[in-house]
Amino acid sequence: MEGLFFNVNGGYVEGIVRGYRNSLLNGQNYSNLIQCETIDDVKLQLAPAYGDFLASLPPNPSTSALAGRMTDKLVSEFRYLIAQATGSTAKFLEYLTYGYMIDNIALLITGTLHERDTRELLERCHPLGWFETLPVLCVATNIEELYNSVLIETPLAPYFKGSLSHQDLDELNIEIVRNTLYKNYLEDFHNFVNTHPNFSGTPTQEIMAEILQFEADRRSINITLNSFGTELSKLERRKLYPEFGKLYPEGSLMLSRAEDVEGVALAVSAVGDYKTFFDAVGLSQGGGGGLSGGPADGKSLEDLFYQKEMEMSKLVFTQQFTPAVVYAWMRLKEQEIRNVSWISECIAQNQKERIGNFISVF
Amino acid sequence: MSGAVGREPVFPTRQSLGLMKSKLKGAETGHSLLKRKSEALTKRFREITRRIDEAKQKMGRVMQIAAFSLAEVSYAVGGDIGYQIQESAKQARFRVRAKHENVSGVLLPQFESYTQEGVNDFGLTGLGKGGQQIQRCRETYARAVETLVELASLQTAFLILDEVIKVVNRRVNAIEHVIIPRTENTIKYINSELDELDREEFYRLKKVSNKKQRDTAAADAEILAARQQAEEKPRNGTPEEPEAPDVLGEQEDTDVIF
Amino acid sequence: MAASAATHKERQFLAVIGDEDSVTGLLLAGIGHVTDGPDAQRNFLVVDSKTETSEIERAFQSFTQDRKDIAVVLINQHVAERIRHSVDAFAEPFPAVLEIPSKDHPYDPEKDSVLKRVRRLFGE
Repeated sequence: MEGLFFNVNGGYVEGIVRGYRNSLLNGQNYSNLIQCETIDDVKLQLAPAYGDFLASLPPNPSTSALAGRMTDKLVSEFRYLIAQATGSTAKFLEYLTYGYMIDNIALLITGTLHERDTRELLERCHPLGWFETLPVLCVATNIEELYNSVLIETPLAPYFKGSLSHQDLDELNIEIVRNTLYKNYLEDFHNFVNTHPNFSGTPTQEIMAEILQFEADRRSINITLNSFGTELSKLERRKLYPEFGKLYPEGSLMLSRAEDVEGVALAVSAVGDYKTFFDAVGLSQGGGGGLSGGPADGKSLEDLFYQKEMEMSKLVFTQQFTPAVVYAWMRLKEQEIRNVSWISECIAQNQKERIGNFISVF
Repeated sequence: MSGAVGREPVFPTRQSLGLMKSKLKGAETGHSLLKRKSEALTKRFREITRRIDEAKQKMGRVMQIAAFSLAEVSYAVGGDIGYQIQESAKQARFRVRAKHENVSGVLLPQFESYTQEGVNDFGLTGLGKGGQQIQRCRETYARAVETLVELASLQTAFLILDEVIKVVNRRVNAIEHVIIPRTENTIKYINSELDELDREEFYRLKKVSNKKQRDTAAADAEILAARQQAEEKPRNGTPEEPEAPDVLGEQEDTDVIF
Repeated sequence: MAASAATHKERQFLAVIGDEDSVTGLLLAGIGHVTDGPDAQRNFLVVDSKTETSEIERAFQSFTQDRKDIAVVLINQHVAERIRHSVDAFAEPFPAVLEIPSKDHPYDPEKDSVLKRVRRLFGE
């Protein structure tokens, strides 16, 4: 039933994304890539998928330049999609960009706090998190002005409002600001897909809720693990956990009380997937020596999360009539860029023994 | 005798000869001491040079590993953390202090790295994701910087030793090629001057004694002749005759006395 | 020596001039230091293709001549190449100037000013 009218508005976008998905690198491509001897070879291997975007690179480009061009392609494809989208699909796509916006704003806040020329920072902003009024924020010379312009000019205002004041921007560590915003963003996005009349009760809600829950849990776990040994108090830490997800509320509560890796493992043991991850890396560690799997045993916890995310994203394409495929495609594409950067980094630095440490799901 | 070296401006007296001799002795002792110092330093210097060479190679490897761990970070974070890191840097956690090592009287600085406790600018970086990789990267880089600090000590020691060795060698060479030859020259000069004086003295004494002999011979002959005259015709002009040689004898005498 | 012993007791920081990756890594190791006060000085400089040579020069002079609290100056070799004459001309023992490799530019011992001196000394 829900699919009956979907194609009227969202059919074209979905079709395009499915086309994009087919140009993602597959296992065969990757095995060709890891055989490469130089970055030029990598470039050659990527030519079918990235064509024009790599053409202007100089011979033997740096890995960051290569990744930059790949991102350019992602950006231009995404911009095309968002230009084609209407109604709720457009809104959905906008939500996808908010995550990048948060990073950009965090960047600008950092710059303003240190009284740098924020105009230089515009180049460093992620193009997907670009919005028309972003340059306006650069006019602000102190943090209070910046705070006010953020509230007025950006779509992120609701995420600031209520949880962060302009004093907070000054006093709190930028990472806390960033994670607070991200938490608010995830909750808002989750709320959006669950309650929007066009999405509730459709595959979109089903898929996105699952993906976002996973994302929320992943953040909670990462924040907990990474906060050990820092000045972040348990109370503050708890404020950064998104208030949904498979771990919420019992798991989150336990996470907020965790003091070491075992505590985290205990907290997540209620959820099968996460328990498996912790068993995979935690037990082989012999109990919390390093925080996550060392490079020796291949995969770290982070890698396993990425792997899981990619598999979920791949499964999204089995569904129809949903803009969630765009989300999945973006995640896959980003992973692909990371993979290629990793491979070319390994080649450039002659560290071939770990070149296989990327995630390919196709 | 090389004219370039010259000699010191001294009067050729026995006193200055003594001075010069002790100076030569001092110079020779100093030369051998400095030579030994220079050898000890050079030995150290060669060792340091070798270690620098090794350390530079090691640095290449260490930095490569460190750069790779940064690549892991950018893989895990999925973005650029450079700017944020640059902006959050406030207090140096990793510092160095200088110690000294004494090599043959030369103080060589030795940098020693230490960690300023309680300073952690990047504790929360990568909180959302990639924090573990960043942590690992920090450790890798901290180890790399330790290697760099070690290398910096070696390099500073190298530069200082290089300078000191140059100075010492200059001194050794100065003593060997200038001071010792010059002192020897002076000694030779004084000796030759003194010999010359000796010879003059000897010659003069010989002359004087010759003259004296001749004079006595002449005087004897005159006395003899006078006696003969007196014997032949006694009491005739005897008081006049002895006066003339007396006058001559007096003139000669003043000359001798001078 | 006694006079300089007092001066290099003060030297406790490292400074770095290099590309973004090198600087980021070294900052992660914790060498970054920003002085207090209105004329806050950083002890690091990020060099990219847009950075003027004169700016590198200025930073190098500041780290080596003006600032008395820096013990070691780390400089990427390819950056050192751009101000080679200054690096070669700098022969003071303090601060120690160390050329380090960067990610994209592997280390080349031939260009190192200190190693060049080593080789010259031994007549290689």
